[in-house]
Amino acid sequence: MFGAATFHAAMAEIVVGSMVLASLCALGCAAGSIFPNLLGARLASERMMLTMDKASIAGACLGLAFIPIAALSGSFAADNTVTNGLLYNKFVYTGLATGFWAAFVIGRIRLGPGLWEHRSLSALQGVTAAMAILMTTMVSSIGGKLVRGESLFDIMPIWLPSDSATVLNPIVSIVLMLIGTGSLFAVLKLGPKAERIETD
Amino acid sequence: MRSRAAIITVIAILLAAGASMANPGGNGDADRDYTCGGSCHGDPALSTPSDGTVSVSVDNMAFTGTATAVHVTASGMSLSGNRLLGVFLLGSIDGNGDHPEDHGWSIVQDPNGGSRNYVEVVVPPSGSVTLTWVMLAPQTTGSVNLFVETHHGSNPNSNNWAYSGLTRGYTVDVQPVPENLPGFAFDWKPETRVTGDDNPTVIRTTNTTSVSVQWMLENEWIPHDAVVTGEGDEWLAQIPATIGDTRIQYQVTTSNGDFSITQPWLTVATQPAPFDGDIWDARLQGLALALLVTAFLLSLQARLSPWKGGPAEDMTSEVEAETAPPEPPGLEPEEPDEYWSRLVPSEDNPGWLWDPVEEDWVADPQNPPVGDE
Repeated sequence: MFGAATFHAAMAEIVVGSMVLASLCALGCAAGSIFPNLLGARLASERMMLTMDKASIAGACLGLAFIPIAALSGSFAADNTVTNGLLYNKFVYTGLATGFWAAFVIGRIRLGPGLWEHRSLSALQGVTAAMAILMTTMVSSIGGKLVRGESLFDIMPIWLPSDSATVLNPIVSIVLMLIGTGSLFAVLKLGPKAERIETD
Repeated sequence: MRSRAAIITVIAILLAAGASMANPGGNGDADRDYTCGGSCHGDPALSTPSDGTVSVSVDNMAFTGTATAVHVTASGMSLSGNRLLGVFLLGSIDGNGDHPEDHGWSIVQDPNGGSRNYVEVVVPPSGSVTLTWVMLAPQTTGSVNLFVETHHGSNPNSNNWAYSGLTRGYTVDVQPVPENLPGFAFDWKPETRVTGDDNPTVIRTTNTTSVSVQWMLENEWIPHDAVVTGEGDEWLAQIPATIGDTRIQYQVTTSNGDFSITQPWLTVATQPAPFDGDIWDARLQGLALALLVTAFLLSLQARLSPWKGGPAEDMTSEVEAETAPPEPPGLEPEEPDEYWSRLVPSEDNPGWLWDPVEEDWVADPQNPPVGDE
């Protein structure tokens, strides 16, 4: 048998590893699309774009599937209690990371690989992936802070607020959830149907 | 060349990771046995003796169940980047059952305000730190030993050594307490207060008929008298609230007419206010943010992507420019300047120009004809 903390560490490694692959490939696709002559046009070659696109969607799907497992095991590892702002923010950043990755995966599946041929969509997808990996690394860095007292973010210029948390009233959170659910329903069911963009 | 650079980069990253050690952020204050019962600092393959000096100051005689202070001064040791030092107060060095309470002691207060035998402190730039444990001597008489162990790192630390230092045993001769000697109750431990809390501090005593308390800020020289109320074995001392990083120390004097005992200085243990949120607040907030972010980004994708019925961009001119057939030879549209330059003015017909190509009269825009022609 092994403890919840050990299981959580393993799950978190799967999530972070997959997401790093996904975000690097997504950023590569976006860069190849926006700057076609980058690296002697090799980044924008059809074969390279196809490979990076498939790797990014595969990595993002795998990571997204494991996020709930990692979050639940982390919750058990913390004895289902939140005693400080750092731990609270871990849940908040997990939610943000899930949102960004879900949007990345849904967008790529709905619009197809042809989205990389549209500069604006490509830029949006690249920014989404960048924000998603930033949130994911924040979550894992908070884990490092909690367990080891240090994190790679200590030596980096970026460190999002994490020591103090803004705790929303649960009623406000529920209202926001309803707004989010309604917005999703409107976008997916009531709004104009996004067409799958076929590659040339 | 590029592959060589890539390999060197990967090796550099791996070497950079090697600079990180097992628990450079420490493990937090806790009740621990000697070398944590077998940590890196206790592993001969991973550890090395500390280069620092540790001195211990403790009375070599104590009465059973009475308070005594153990002062530990550590100095001159190498330190890691965060200057963290771990200090153990031990009753033995067997690797288990080493906690002083396993040997009859009761820790009233550790240097950080808790009641642990292992504490972590950040060493000031002077390189020297003094820590004080206030303990109640065992209830049984005899000789007992106290050991102090230190754990620390080093910066730089190319070999990743875990430094460990151990003092000799300091023997305390525990004598029977004189009858009716006033002191702290054996099971009393100072309360931990929340920042800003100025509720009276509860002090429980034994064989005591009166209590006086003096307090002062850390590093202050002149103590102030505190108002003390109560009777029997429970007393309430009015000590100001701690705010921010300030630390307040207080000293209790227990008296009963026959004896008056001045106890060691204690520190008002202060902790931050308890965190407001709970796990379900965090889960709901995380889920709400996930839904909002997803919805926002999907709507942006829908806005930027082509969709049926959307405002199509007018590309007519580009399409016509690319698809319109060329004019037949001789019928290509002429440039306006070329057209006007070929027209010839006529003195017979003022206001009119003669086009020799079309063989037709054209009205002169510079000198319009007057009247009908």
